[in-house]
Amino acid sequence: MSTETPIPDGSTLRADVRLAMASLENPSTSHTSVASVTSDLSIDEELNLHAVGWQPVELVSGVSAFSVPSGLWNWGQGEIVGAIRAHENAFSHAILQLQRDAAQAGGHGVVGVRVERAVHPTHVEVSLVGTAVRPIGASAVDSLKVFTSDLSGRDFALLDAAGWQPLGLAHGASFVYAPRRQMSTVLAQQSQNVELTNFTNAIYEARETAMERLQAIALSLAGTGIVQVQVVEGPMSFASHAIGFATWGTVVRLTREAHQRVEPQMVMSMNDRASAFEATTLG
Amino acid sequence: MSDEANELARTTEHRLEELEKGLFTSDLSVNEFLLIKEVGYHPLGFVMGSSIYHTGIQTRKWSQSQELTKLTEAMYNARELAMSRMEDEAAQLGADGVVGVRLDVNYYEWGKDAAEFIAVGTAVKAEDGVSRLNKLGKPFTSDLSGQDFWTLLQTGYMPQGLVMGTCVYHIAHRGLGQTLQTTGQNMELPNFTQALYEARELAMTRMQDEANQLGASGIVGVRLEEKTHQWGSHTIEFLSLGTAVTKTADVVSLAKPITIISLDN
Repeated sequence: MSTETPIPDGSTLRADVRLAMASLENPSTSHTSVASVTSDLSIDEELNLHAVGWQPVELVSGVSAFSVPSGLWNWGQGEIVGAIRAHENAFSHAILQLQRDAAQAGGHGVVGVRVERAVHPTHVEVSLVGTAVRPIGASAVDSLKVFTSDLSGRDFALLDAAGWQPLGLAHGASFVYAPRRQMSTVLAQQSQNVELTNFTNAIYEARETAMERLQAIALSLAGTGIVQVQVVEGPMSFASHAIGFATWGTVVRLTREAHQRVEPQMVMSMNDRASAFEATTLG
Repeated sequence: MSDEANELARTTEHRLEELEKGLFTSDLSVNEFLLIKEVGYHPLGFVMGSSIYHTGIQTRKWSQSQELTKLTEAMYNARELAMSRMEDEAAQLGADGVVGVRLDVNYYEWGKDAAEFIAVGTAVKAEDGVSRLNKLGKPFTSDLSGQDFWTLLQTGYMPQGLVMGTCVYHIAHRGLGQTLQTTGQNMELPNFTQALYEARELAMTRMQDEANQLGASGIVGVRLEEKTHQWGSHTIEFLSLGTAVTKTADVVSLAKPITIISLDN
């Protein structure tokens, strides 16, 4: 193939770039002409999807960054509202973008979404990458009807077999100031075993509000459950008296009249633990 | 409980009320979720308990092996607080038990003596409506994964509670004379061996005592962890953790496993 390609001179390069620009601006035409599928699913996952009548369409992404007002993290009381709002906006905008991308590619949902998020003193960024999927041969739907999920293709197939359907990603985050102890309290507690109730309270406050937001989103999607809830919590590395709690998961709903049992079988692998073949060990 | 603790309960209550509307949250993976449904349980909610605890100071004698009772006490109290708060949340949801319990310790920058003790898990309820509360009338707790839970139930056993034993121990330093004597020789260091043995035994015995209180017939999945936390080199916490189980049915429905050779690597 490479031998047939002429060495690009200036004019063909320009033409190539123009073609690429055109296909970016008008993705639908490029899809009909080239029936290619990009996806970061493994072969196993694709097989699993096909087994339940779905196919991958396109690798899609959504990225969003929201700024946090400066000087917010160190002094104050209660919730750090600016940071909470930034996190919420960044997450929901990234999801919206993911849905739009997927709808444009003709997907009905996005599976295997990798959630990467970072909280900086000045901004919060969320980036989501996943594979758009649709029932084999189905036509495009409106972007608001596209579901997103951080479950793998194999989990999606398994849920489908059990009669459940993913509805979307739910997320919640909260940042709270941990009140400082007074000097006299610090000294009095120095040699004692005591619970530091001010910190415990702060952690609880952060946790409850974050979880409540998570649940509110799930309820708004008419879900009956959230599976694989992920939790990141702890003090912010750049502000010792601020505590963060972030959580996300996939909202699911039972779509058949009853849960279908999966009836697993016991298997015992006869493989040895050592890997059978390693190219690097070949002389 | 103090006033602050009641305050905690109020914010939690609101979240739990939402869960009672029929929405469940769970940190179970899809596999675990399906396996738990398979044995007739339904997840109710992600339950948590935490406590930020300040551990006191205890003087250690340089050349003496001894248990540091004050620190042991602190590790116990803090974990108990976290666990019991998690159990309270589960009880409020009307759960029969909590599976996949994780106990963690996080250290923060607020001072090296303060640590967060946290317990999280998924509250579950039996779908047949028969209560599975343990001997103490509380929801059972277990650190078994969904997969282990399924397998355990197939063998007719039932988890009763997460049991633990802990011991913070100071291991004596060797004197200069001793050190010089052993230089260049192959020999056991009996004072170190002895100290480690004793600490381990104390932790294990305490775990077994907890299991006995639950009327358990065994402890599965026992882990023994050694941590120095932030106490320096010669102070060690031995922590043993496991799930106490009792036999509730004689029927063993576990099928003979099919042997497979997997072609992937």
